[in-house]
Amino acid sequence: MIITDVLCPFCGALCDDIVVEVEKNKIIEVREACEIGVSKMMGHERIATPMIRENGELKETTYENAIDKTAEILVNSLRPLIYGWSSTTCEAHRKGIELAEELGAVIDNTASVCHGPSILAIQNVGLPSCTLGQIKNRADLIIYWGSNQAEAHPRHMSRYTSFPRGFFSEEGRRGKKVVVLDVRKTTTVEVADDFIQVAPGEDYPVLSALRAILAGEENVVPSCVGGVSKEKLIELVEKMKSARFGILFFGLGLTHSRGRYNNVVNAISLVRELNAHTKFVIMPMRGHYNVTGFNQVCTWETGFPFAVDFSRGQPWYNPGETSAVDILNREECDAVLVIASDPGAHFPKKSIEFMAKIPVIQIDPYPNPTTELADVVIPSAIAGIEVEGTAYRMDKVPIRLRKIIEPNHLSDEEILSRVLNKVRERRGE
Amino acid sequence: MELLIKNGVVYDPINEIRGEKMDICVKEDKIVSKVKNPKVIDANGKLVMPGGVDIHSHIAGGKINAGRLLRPEDGRKGAEPRGKLTRVCTGYSVPNTYATGYRYAKMGYTFVMEPATPPLLARHTHEELIDTPILDNAILALLDNNWMTMEYVKSGETKKLAAYVAWMIKAVKAYGVKIVNPGGDEAWGWGKNVNIDDSVPNFDVTPRDIIDGLAEANEMLNLPHSIHIHCNDLGHPGNYETTLKSFDVVKGRSNANRQVMHATHVQFHSYGGSGWKDFESKVDEIAKYVNAKKHVTIDMGQVMLGDTTTMTADGPLEYGLHMITGRKWTNLDVELETGGGITPFLYSSKVAVNTIQWAIGLELALLIKDPWKIALTTDHPNGAPFITYPIVISLLMNKQKRGEVMANVHKAINKRAILPSIGRELDWNDIAIMTRAAPARILGLDRYGKGHLGVGADADVAIYDVSPEERESKKIQSALLHAKYTIKGGEVVVRDGEIVAVPEGRTYWVNPEFDGESTKDMLGDLTGKFEKYYSVNLANYPVQDAYVPHPVEIKTKV
Amino acid sequence: MRVTLTPKKDFKVPVEAETIKPDNFAGKNKSEIESIALWHGNKEVKLGSLFDVKVEGVNKEETKIVIEGDASRIKRIGEGMTSGEIMINGNVDMHCGAMMSGGKIIVKGDSDAWAGREMIGGELVVEGNAGNYLGAGYWGAEKGMGGGMIRVHGDAGDYVGGHMGDGEIIVKGSAGLLPGLDMSGGKITIEGNTTLPGGEMKNGMMVIKGKVLEMLPSFRFEGEEIVDSLKLKKFTGDLVRRGSGTLYVNLIPGE
Ligand code: SF4
Ligand SMILES: [Zn+2]
Repeated sequence: MIITDVLCPFCGALCDDIVVEVEKNKIIEVREACEIGVSKMMGHERIATPMIRENGELKETTYENAIDKTAEILVNSLRPLIYGWSSTTCEAHRKGIELAEELGAVIDNTASVCHGPSILAIQNVGLPSCTLGQIKNRADLIIYWGSNQAEAHPRHMSRYTSFPRGFFSEEGRRGKKVVVLDVRKTTTVEVADDFIQVAPGEDYPVLSALRAILAGEENVVPSCVGGVSKEKLIELVEKMKSARFGILFFGLGLTHSRGRYNNVVNAISLVRELNAHTKFVIMPMRGHYNVTGFNQVCTWETGFPFAVDFSRGQPWYNPGETSAVDILNREECDAVLVIASDPGAHFPKKSIEFMAKIPVIQIDPYPNPTTELADVVIPSAIAGIEVEGTAYRMDKVPIRLRKIIEPNHLSDEEILSRVLNKVRERRGE
Repeated sequence: MELLIKNGVVYDPINEIRGEKMDICVKEDKIVSKVKNPKVIDANGKLVMPGGVDIHSHIAGGKINAGRLLRPEDGRKGAEPRGKLTRVCTGYSVPNTYATGYRYAKMGYTFVMEPATPPLLARHTHEELIDTPILDNAILALLDNNWMTMEYVKSGETKKLAAYVAWMIKAVKAYGVKIVNPGGDEAWGWGKNVNIDDSVPNFDVTPRDIIDGLAEANEMLNLPHSIHIHCNDLGHPGNYETTLKSFDVVKGRSNANRQVMHATHVQFHSYGGSGWKDFESKVDEIAKYVNAKKHVTIDMGQVMLGDTTTMTADGPLEYGLHMITGRKWTNLDVELETGGGITPFLYSSKVAVNTIQWAIGLELALLIKDPWKIALTTDHPNGAPFITYPIVISLLMNKQKRGEVMANVHKAINKRAILPSIGRELDWNDIAIMTRAAPARILGLDRYGKGHLGVGADADVAIYDVSPEERESKKIQSALLHAKYTIKGGEVVVRDGEIVAVPEGRTYWVNPEFDGESTKDMLGDLTGKFEKYYSVNLANYPVQDAYVPHPVEIKTKV
Repeated sequence: MRVTLTPKKDFKVPVEAETIKPDNFAGKNKSEIESIALWHGNKEVKLGSLFDVKVEGVNKEETKIVIEGDASRIKRIGEGMTSGEIMINGNVDMHCGAMMSGGKIIVKGDSDAWAGREMIGGELVVEGNAGNYLGAGYWGAEKGMGGGMIRVHGDAGDYVGGHMGDGEIIVKGSAGLLPGLDMSGGKITIEGNTTLPGGEMKNGMMVIKGKVLEMLPSFRFEGEEIVDSLKLKKFTGDLVRRGSGTLYVNLIPGE
């Protein structure tokens, strides 16, 4: 059986044109997707059954037992942390937020270790942006800053930005200029027209210099800022001003270098000010396919996008305090539920060492380094392959994930819903 | 389940009941003529009205959520913990979905129209509506800056345009057609704007053509609601002329049941003057027009003095506001369809323009003689958050109260607004019309059981603990903010101002039937648009049934 | 009246204690104070279950609260206080003195992040070091500190006085990255070193008596002036937004 218009549940580009061939409830071929997409969709080793750690070893058990154990841990916790969410559906997010509310937990998603700074920046200055189709049809200047999407979002350029022909960009790649700013020559540079190398950690002053030049104050700008010559900076400002429609994409190179969210504030402000001269927009290169979705759901349900602390009933939002890594590094929490993410592989050493000391529950289709830390492991069906549901593309366009094959495991939503029921049962409600 | 609401003072304007002491019977989710074994609600001396109907309030969707995300400092206002039945609440001008549902229900409202959904993002709006408790709802789809619309308007292929409108409304599970600064958002794709007779860059049509074309398509499809328009030139001094021109575009059209144009938040479109210095009210001109004609209805878009968040599909307008205030600004242009922007705004009593804006909304309600032509709104949250409705109502009902406010604001109000010279005070019947009967009728929902208490109507009832004679503003406000009872679909959802039940709301959507041949031709064109220009595939575009778990489908025939 | 609180045990899960402030203690006896509510994680608890309480003196005097021992897991002490005095004989956790409008807090040890957040009056003294976001604003809010005085005897972390509108902050040691972000009024003095001061500054004054390790490229040099009897270089900025903030600097990079 051939299924068309399938979404690739991997990166924030959320391609929805994938063709999948299925035989006997197995995916045998994936077309149109990039290499990473194909390998993700073809699948790999799964967690077979629920497990509970006994005397240091994970022992197989039933869903019933694992879910009950989960509820027991969470109900007895004074400050539970619920973290992850980027590789599952919005329907699961909603259940998770309800669980966090019920428990008085802190809920956070992977944004807090990727584009959390971008969100903080947006809260400071806003975000002049657009959907990706707008870029495909109109943009003639495309800037990637601190983002190597050739590796992280392989089809981003071919589907949405540099290559496609659009309504006002019939020439395709020939009619567009692509500029890359980064600390090193990434693979993206190979397909760019211009590359500007910024010294590590110097994004903030470079952006300030660009804005000063734009504001007509180029006299005060020194001859070299952050490793970039003043001439080069002036040239870039001219390029931006003379574009018909410009877009600045930025990635972790900007959000995670010195200055963090303030780098993004500076970049957004630059783009905002360019609108006095021409049309200019900006967009964070969100990583996982539904990291944006969690921020959306969490915002409409709680008023805040991530790092929400329900311990006092009403939500308290304060990244830096209520964000997962900060809580773990300060050893504030006493239990962690990890879902649809892998902090065991991505968190700082200090956080992981602390996770090893407290009860950890993992809900995931795949074994990963977090499994090594987990005391309860609950396997789930793969969202977007075995479960349908909503995901938000990096530009906040919601698309419905398809179910391609029948699952052998419970969905994240179903697992969370059962945990919630058990929690209520244990509390005698 | 049966209810007997006994001895209330009933205002049910659609059924011409004007403050009569009478009983209302409820069986299951409908109003009935008698009941056998009811639970009795004593409404003696209390106001009984149909559940409130909000014709235009931005409560759900991408723009609203971008507003929440933009303003955590607003989010932390009004934070309330989870209750036994209720989820957490946050926000003042950008409340979370739960606060939205509960707060409306506490004010006796049971239906809210989300008035500006970009079709590409409709799934998002529906997802939020699922999480908005209690309220019945519907959405209007933005169809005016769409390339398909403009191309059909230009080529004069009205049948294909109607086929497109029909297909889109069905595809995104919408209730009607929304127009926001027609042509303006397409121009904003290049950082520009247009007025009613300007040509839209690259498309060679004018906003006037777009309005006329969509009105024609709307009437061809026989939709329950008329076109719903946010005119060009919003917020600018001297824009009342554009507004009157926009009204005039459709003056030759008619519909037996209703208006053929609903113009929203007309407060923002009733300005005179050549700049901010001589900015003034032109409500006299607007009211003269509306009083004389039958084809247009409006809603207020009342401004209340204080801090709020502005958010509209009018991209260039929001950028303009941001340039005035320097405050943070978010923009979201949507490919082939529309745009949108958000920026916080403080309406200050010390600023002449803001004070006059405040007066203008009230003037509209007071100078338009027939309350059936004007619904009460604040264009939430643009003029003010919806929870200020009780204050707006108390001002409309009390001249002295208005005088007290006017004494403490910028003196320009005395010269450049009309309000100081207006003595009219609205009564409860007027208020019942403006807050439930008229919006229901303008939306065409009265035919589907909304906005009245006649036998067969939905059992959506508000009971306020205030005597019809009460004139003291504080008492009126607190009674309206915390209904004694709100009954939604026959279920008591609010008692003594507190939420006591949280049923899920239903979504009204229209399934317009249209000629198959034109639809087929149109789909050919649409497929081309998806293949070449959209960033999603056509197969993934229509909103799946899963996003409308409690649908009320309204089928229309040509 | 003087109330001494001594923690009964070490907390890992932090306590949230904005109820510990003189406004709330004034006129109360020992058992009333012991029954004041606090949050420990997601449980509401009584103050008496976490602290030994000693009450001395009479009600009429100004209320002084003394915390003996480690308060490094007690957040929000003195949040929103309007009068009286709090003395913390040790370290203190986040949000100490946040939104305070009067009275005085003395922290003998270090304060964690967000000390004096959104403060509008009164005085906060940290005798040790202060964490990040000293005297800063809340996420998304346009104004941070709106009045009052913060003194830090040691060093301060990143983002001192973000979005400051009025009031004064003095750091005797050094400060981290980007102090005075988006400042629109008030005064910040850093006696030691700092990095990239005054980003997005609109108005107000910053005095860096030590060395600026890195300068923003968007400030205009205006000449030298004597400030606090030191000859300092005067800059205006941040010109990215045509700001007219004043930045006085002793040593710039390379000096
Ligand atoms: S670019 Fe991203 S979404 Fe598209 S196929 Fe590759 S991994 Fe999947
Ligand atoms: Zn509106």
